[in-house]
Amino acid sequence: MLLVAVFAPLAGAFLLPLLGSVSRRLRDVSALAMVLVSLGCSLALVSGALRGDIVSFSIIGPLGLSLILTADALAVFMAIVSSLVGAVIMLFSFDYISHYENQNEYYVMAVVFLGAMMGLVFSTNLIYLFVFWEITGIASWRLIGFYRGKADVLKADKAFLITALGALVMLVGILAVYGLTGTFDLTAMKGTALPLGISALLLIGLLSKSATLPFQTWLPDAGVAPAPVTALLHAAVLVKIGVYVFARLFLATFAFVEALRTIVASLAGASALVSAGAALVETDFKRIVAYSTVSQIGFIFLGLAMGNPLGAAGALLYILMHGLAKAGLFLSAGIVEQNAGTKDITKLGGLIRTMPWTAAAFLLCSFSVMGIPPFGGFFGKYMVLSAAVSANEIVLATVFFVGALLTILYLFRLFTKVFLGEPKGTPAAEKSRLMVACVVLLAALSLIGGLAVGWPSELARVAISQMLGVTG
Amino acid sequence: MSHLLLLVPFLAVVVLNLLPKRARGAALWVSFGVLGLEAAAAFVERFSSIDSSAFTWLESVFGFRLAADHLSGLAMLCAGIVGMVALLVARRTLKDAGEKFFFANLVLVALVGINGIAMVRDLFSLYVFVEVTAIATFILITASRSGAASRGEQVFEGAWKYIILSVVASVLMLTSIGFFLLSAGDITFDAVKTALGAPGSLTWVAMALFLCGLFVKGGLVPFHGWLADAYTAAPAPVSVFMAGIVTKASGIFALLRIVSSTMGSALPGREILLVVGALTIVVGAFLALGQSNMKRMLAYSSVSQMGYIVLALGGDLNLGILAAGLHFFNHAISKSQLFANAAAIEEQLGTLNMDEMGGIGARMPVTAGTTAVATLSIAGLPPLAGFWSKLLIVLALWNAKEYGFAAVAILASLVTLAYFLSLQRRVFFGKTHPKWAHVKEAAPGLLVPVVALALITIALGVGFPFALRVLLGGGA
Repeated sequence: MLLVAVFAPLAGAFLLPLLGSVSRRLRDVSALAMVLVSLGCSLALVSGALRGDIVSFSIIGPLGLSLILTADALAVFMAIVSSLVGAVIMLFSFDYISHYENQNEYYVMAVVFLGAMMGLVFSTNLIYLFVFWEITGIASWRLIGFYRGKADVLKADKAFLITALGALVMLVGILAVYGLTGTFDLTAMKGTALPLGISALLLIGLLSKSATLPFQTWLPDAGVAPAPVTALLHAAVLVKIGVYVFARLFLATFAFVEALRTIVASLAGASALVSAGAALVETDFKRIVAYSTVSQIGFIFLGLAMGNPLGAAGALLYILMHGLAKAGLFLSAGIVEQNAGTKDITKLGGLIRTMPWTAAAFLLCSFSVMGIPPFGGFFGKYMVLSAAVSANEIVLATVFFVGALLTILYLFRLFTKVFLGEPKGTPAAEKSRLMVACVVLLAALSLIGGLAVGWPSELARVAISQMLGVTG
Repeated sequence: MSHLLLLVPFLAVVVLNLLPKRARGAALWVSFGVLGLEAAAAFVERFSSIDSSAFTWLESVFGFRLAADHLSGLAMLCAGIVGMVALLVARRTLKDAGEKFFFANLVLVALVGINGIAMVRDLFSLYVFVEVTAIATFILITASRSGAASRGEQVFEGAWKYIILSVVASVLMLTSIGFFLLSAGDITFDAVKTALGAPGSLTWVAMALFLCGLFVKGGLVPFHGWLADAYTAAPAPVSVFMAGIVTKASGIFALLRIVSSTMGSALPGREILLVVGALTIVVGAFLALGQSNMKRMLAYSSVSQMGYIVLALGGDLNLGILAAGLHFFNHAISKSQLFANAAAIEEQLGTLNMDEMGGIGARMPVTAGTTAVATLSIAGLPPLAGFWSKLLIVLALWNAKEYGFAAVAILASLVTLAYFLSLQRRVFFGKTHPKWAHVKEAAPGLLVPVVALALITIALGVGFPFALRVLLGGGA
């Protein structure tokens, strides 16, 4: 089951160009099917995960290079988030990408990306975690440079280099861990107390992938990519890798170090405020949403760094809710950009008349990101904040409260500029029903996620107790 | 049977030259067949460890012996594969029938040298075979007339630098051999090993001189000056052959052999290797970053990657040699593929200046795709073969407690990635330059070898843990 979840998309992706030469429709549908297979496998693992079972699969290799895939509650949770959001984004791509060249490459890379994500989520061997980590890097390099303009390609290179720098520093860290414990297997090193230096090496890798201060600059720049790609990278999947691995390493595996907590929390706080400020002044639709991602990732890091179960559970929930809502925002941005021909918000306005569904979906997703009840985002944010308060981190709690206020501010500003007011230029209509249906679906999921918050939070609770159960 | 590996290519050259002129068209294929046998021979593990039966008269003069082990097999496999690729490239890019004949012959002569390097057991024979290879290569660089008009000065400069530095290296090695004869009385690897075990200043000077000679041959920093000129000046198939195997065999493989058979874990030697290796990696990588000629960039990238192999030898001995051997193979595959890609691009576009290119990927998808595989592999990105050999190199250093050098090795991959991304961006990625709107993909004859090599890289990368188990089991 685990193998299928990982390798169906990873290996299947390379068949897509062949299928594409038979029929484009067939290629698109099978790309979606591969992602759905992953989603199906992950969902099938849920009932076991809820009971606290840990499914594991391994191929033993020499020198500690064994491929070990493990499905505990945390992994299953994350796998569902990425494949669910990924599947909706693939569906959205059917119409969006059909306007451009290099479609084969797009589908191959997007599916490889999601497959690698599955591999990363389930890996408990550090070396394979790194392998899958870098595959996502290669795939996102090609995806960001999709339009092939000079600036696009430069920014793709920038993103690749920054994340590769982080990854290499992390590889040094991984080797240091190996030197310390003599193994690459995460379950075997459970409870080890890591020296701060090694933690810092690993952390640089995580922060660069998650586009957290001081490595945040590549993420807004990567907004040159097509909308489904930005949604895939920014919202749903890529940036969550850093957060997920943080949880996997520092919460689930190593003993928690107090100093590290302070560092991460301060960086996360600074990141949240700086990027929220940037989002307030930007005029590019996608850059605003991208900065918002940087800011929200700070929130998730804060929750995890609190080190108490409430904060961690809130962070996990927020990974899901933010993934759904932010994908919705990016895809709405894509609809607007494709139909209105610009993403400069000073040249947009009054689109609510011609794009009512998109506007509504955008607003609902915004509510979730802002943390307005009863949307999903509210529960995540609330739990993180109350964890901060109960841990007596008043300064941090204040910082994040301000961050949350700023979020409300810049998202309303965005909505007002784009959808309200007088129409500027030619009124653009929603052309593709499929694309609109996708954002509406995401908005609906954000709402349902809030109303039926019990189910995901149950899984998150099991994950937390598995993670913190041993380390305390 | 190891003497056959020297005799068969040699006899093939003789036979080819006895053929009547009109039958000479077959030379490329004869040569191709010999190289195929060579690659196959690498998999025949059971050649006797010491085989000198055919050369007893030589043994009485200076202890000439041949022995084939796993390392020899590795060199032969690389030589076979790279040689075949070079011949296929020659078939498409050399226009003149005489030149093709010439090329096929010289490749066989160089092959005699490479096989010798792979199997000898003493310093003097090693030196002799290194020279055989070098002279064949020198002629290869200068002799081709393809496009000579545009390259006239450049060819002269490249070949000149190569031969002059080769002579310097020869002098260093010969002096070293003299010193060894003075201090140890013998120059077989075993005798040298014993001599190094009992430290005396003369043996160490001798060792250092020999190493310097090999550093020159392998184009390591600070002796890297000749390499980029020679690779750029050489015609396409020659640069494939040189970059793929010649420089590696005569410099790096000889070094690998010396380290594994004579040095053991002797400390001072290790320090030299570490420093030279790290310096080479960094300098080579930054030089590559500044190039706009595609072949020059690839050449400096080769310099940098050779540094990794040398660095590995400075690490934990057993793991280091395994890692160095793997990197040797991976790099031979990927770099000869990249030079073949460059040949295809030169063939289709008539230029190698990357600043004039742009968006070629849309016009030449196979070339673009295979190049991406090779460059990412050399930059050490998983899941390609290059990642694993680099990982093992770093592990070897880590096990030897050389943390600083391990960090250099890892972080230098970022520079590698940077220059290869710049290559990708300037040549393939991006919008198609209007000037190249009608460029076509290279002929199938050039695509077959690069696709095959790219597939090797991917297969070895994905199946690496299994390959490693076989290698460890075989005790490479």
